[in-house]
Amino acid sequence: MSEKNQQLIAEYLQGTLDEAGKREVEELIAKGDIDFIDFRAMEQLHDELDMIQVPEPSKEMSSRFYTMLEAEKEQVKSSLGEIIRAKLNEFFSYLTMPRLAYAFVLLIVGGFIGNQLGSNDAEIQELTSEMQNMREMMMVSMLEGPSTTDRLRAVNISAQLPMADQKAVRALLFTLNNDESVNVRVQTIEALTRWGDNPLVREGFVKSIANQDNDIVIVTLADAMVELGVKNSANEFQRLINEKDLAGATKKKVENTIAVLL
Amino acid sequence: MMKVKDGDLDKLGLLFERYNRPLYSFFYRKTYESQLSEDLVQSVFERMLKYRTTYSGTGSFTTWMFSIARNAHIDHYRKEKRRREDEILDEEQIPGEVPAGYAEMDERNQKKVLLEKAIEQLDDDKREVVILSRFEGLKYHEIADIQGVTESAIKVRMFRAMKELKQIVTTLSEEYSHE
Repeated sequence: MSEKNQQLIAEYLQGTLDEAGKREVEELIAKGDIDFIDFRAMEQLHDELDMIQVPEPSKEMSSRFYTMLEAEKEQVKSSLGEIIRAKLNEFFSYLTMPRLAYAFVLLIVGGFIGNQLGSNDAEIQELTSEMQNMREMMMVSMLEGPSTTDRLRAVNISAQLPMADQKAVRALLFTLNNDESVNVRVQTIEALTRWGDNPLVREGFVKSIANQDNDIVIVTLADAMVELGVKNSANEFQRLINEKDLAGATKKKVENTIAVLL
Repeated sequence: MMKVKDGDLDKLGLLFERYNRPLYSFFYRKTYESQLSEDLVQSVFERMLKYRTTYSGTGSFTTWMFSIARNAHIDHYRKEKRRREDEILDEEQIPGEVPAGYAEMDERNQKKVLLEKAIEQLDDDKREVVILSRFEGLKYHEIADIQGVTESAIKVRMFRAMKELKQIVTTLSEEYSHE
């Protein structure tokens, strides 16, 4: 096949061919200069490439970037030098270490739950809606418990629920707004994000912004709002900036989130 | 980026929010390694800061960014070449070996595995054209700027990459189903 025809097909695949170009391809197919079966197979393969998915990057990537950005700004502002650098390092170690610890806890809890449930796959498949109700009851009960580990476990159980039940969503939103543990609140945001199409979840997230005063929770909420495209959260974030004295990097993160949402 | 160049470094945060995922996706599709992809995204933004004064603003920002990304990947590959060769010998799958659990997968997942394996077998330039065009939505003239060749050459490269992919998928499918 001539290079000219190869270029035409490449343009066709990208969807940039104008009407005249499309007609030209059709004529070439009609004349047999382009093999129709090969052409269709290539077009189908081009579409099928959608199957290849990329996992989400970790939240550490964002933390690392903002750490680097702050460090660069520090170098630029040499007059403030070491004092500000020390404060930022302190802040970011505060931001990073609990997350690492939290990830470790999740790994163990996730493995534990996986072991408990994984061995009974056949049974799980047979469970009816009664089992879902039991799970919800257990989750709500554990969310109200005094143990942080139990509450984290409860939030993880929510991931086993096949659909967003109003009762479960309300319980998780209550936890998001009231739990004393940052780790539980962060994990709750991630659990609720799975049901991000549910209006109750989206509305609950927006209302929750004003209740948060922890940097990690605020940053996680900001990421969730961008991921779910909850544009009406921008006003709440703006109010948060106006009314609360946020740490420098958190404030910048929220400002950037607002800019992306608008 | 012009504002970053002029000293408003906070604006780089905005660029990070907009482009960190496309960049991560670009690197992941090249390397299939999450941590390495995150490291390379970080490297791209470090380079943007380092070379911000060289940004002219004449071409598109996306093209400039992916050019930096391409160089970051090449530099990494050169530095790690020796180590990677060792890893290939020690850890990576032997060519022709059927991926674990392939026979038990449904048709859709088998197709997904075949596509992933086929893309891996393309040479770097062809794989990059497919990634940038198909997944990152860049136009052929932008990819031409990044790879330093003509737009016509990129179109031909894309056609040949797709043709090769089709052939590799067919070959792998036959190999895997016979084993």
